[in-house]
Amino acid sequence: MNIHPKSFGFTFKRTGLYTLLIVSSLLMIIPFYWSVSTSLKLEQNVFSNPPQWIPNPVTLENYIHVLTRIPFPRYFANSLIVAVITTLGHVFFDTLAAYAFAKLKFPFRDQIFFFMLLALMVPFQVNLIPLYKIMATLHWTDTYLALIVPNLTSIFGIFLMRQFMLTIPNELLDAARMDGCTEFGVFRKVALPLALPGIATLIIFTFMGSWNDFLWPRIVTNSEKLFTLPVGLAQLQMKNTSNVAQIMAGTVLTALPMIIVFLFMQRQFIEGMTAGALKE
Amino acid sequence: MTVIQHSRKLTYSIQKYGISYLFISVPLLSLIVFLFIPMIVSLWWSLNDYSGLTAAKFVGLNNYIKLLTDDKIFAKSLLNTTLFVLLGMSIGPTLGLLTAMMLNQKVRFSSLFRTAYYLPVMTSLVVVSTIWLMLYNRNGLFNVVLQEFGLPKVGWLSNPDIALISIVFASVWQGFGFETVVFLAALQSIPRELYEAAMMDGAGAWAQFRYITLPALRPVILFVYIIGIIGSYQVFDQIFVMSSGGPVYSTSTIVYYLFDKFMDLRLGYASAIAYILFAILVIFSYLQMRISRERA
Repeated sequence: MNIHPKSFGFTFKRTGLYTLLIVSSLLMIIPFYWSVSTSLKLEQNVFSNPPQWIPNPVTLENYIHVLTRIPFPRYFANSLIVAVITTLGHVFFDTLAAYAFAKLKFPFRDQIFFFMLLALMVPFQVNLIPLYKIMATLHWTDTYLALIVPNLTSIFGIFLMRQFMLTIPNELLDAARMDGCTEFGVFRKVALPLALPGIATLIIFTFMGSWNDFLWPRIVTNSEKLFTLPVGLAQLQMKNTSNVAQIMAGTVLTALPMIIVFLFMQRQFIEGMTAGALKE
Repeated sequence: MTVIQHSRKLTYSIQKYGISYLFISVPLLSLIVFLFIPMIVSLWWSLNDYSGLTAAKFVGLNNYIKLLTDDKIFAKSLLNTTLFVLLGMSIGPTLGLLTAMMLNQKVRFSSLFRTAYYLPVMTSLVVVSTIWLMLYNRNGLFNVVLQEFGLPKVGWLSNPDIALISIVFASVWQGFGFETVVFLAALQSIPRELYEAAMMDGAGAWAQFRYITLPALRPVILFVYIIGIIGSYQVFDQIFVMSSGGPVYSTSTIVYYLFDKFMDLRLGYASAIAYILFAILVIFSYLQMRISRERA
């Protein structure tokens, strides 16, 4: 290294900075890499010493097993159905309610909104058991209804969308009302399009939450036909502790869709995540 | 006011406000049916001996008394959860702030590094826990690395003294990227001029951090800690996948114990656990509300 007294400190710092960044990023990536790599190994090579960084031989056997012998495609379909319907529900119901709370005047509006905010404090575990009982009484356990219906709206979503709705100028809404729009028309034609950035955030939050949810689907489903990916993966993990390569194939299949969506929508993800923290 | 006037006024109100109530009806109904009523039912059950199969038997505060004075496993779970929160919260946000400050140094490929930190955050906890379970295996990657350095193998999840710490580690790894991203956004919103002025006055790096960065980040730091504490107190997925609360209850947490009692059909007891958790979280939620009101 060319030691130049003036730039030495700077170069030294920059080198240190990049070293730290690269090392820490590697620590983040290696577990993912390791799970992909393991999923492509023969079972007897999973814990070989020295470890195989590159599988030798590479096999797709684990994926074939998980996709054909274990109903992973079914888990995938379940996760997708639940996440998509849940997300649609949130986009419609949360946004509509947010519009009412932000832009319409009606008796007890603020009291109801405050009541909802208070409910935001209640941890899910408090209502979990009676909720399960309600589902059982309705014979909804082990059906899509139990996975979807209690999660069609969320207070957080309403709160988030209300923040976006508040920024819409009232003049625009009044103009649409003058033109003879019904209140729903004003919502659909004026407020909804203007709240689209917020809706993108809402979609990401809801979809991710639903896709990764574990406790509720774990409790409310019993048969494999209804398992979502995390429940199916945990099940595979418990039943086949010795087939680590297969478990990893299941892990990759569970994580991959979310990672792909994330890589394509990174900006929206990050904006969505920071929205709650900074704009509150 | 006559009855007719009254009913006219009512009709008028319905016409005028009905649409608003219609707009909020589904979330409100959902809130009442799926949250409010279950909450009350849960509170009632917590005062009962109830299995869900036979009739409930009112026992007053017995469940609470037993949990708080006579249940060693619950005491252990409470302690474990608190340790989990304390350990996780002393590492996670610090790591988040450090990485955010590194990324804020106008580095190349900063979005690539940010992606690396953030990747586990959007990955399901079940996935992350499954991967770490493999890494923590007796013959897994961590022990192989230790052996490379001539060190003995560690029972990451089988040693009761270490298991909880191992789970904290995996959880911090999973979650600190959220803090990185939040802190980075906050750091970027601090006006550069502040730092320039400070440098003119001869303030060093530490003074700049102490007197500009830290005060500017204060609200975000508080937000991150409170959200983190509330979330960590509810830790479950990692425990379920990685340790099932063991060995010898060394990783049993409040929600895991609640789940366990639920599976044993001790619904009244489990409900009381839920309300104790609720009481703990209300304290932190109250703090959060006060803080966000301060900011508004």
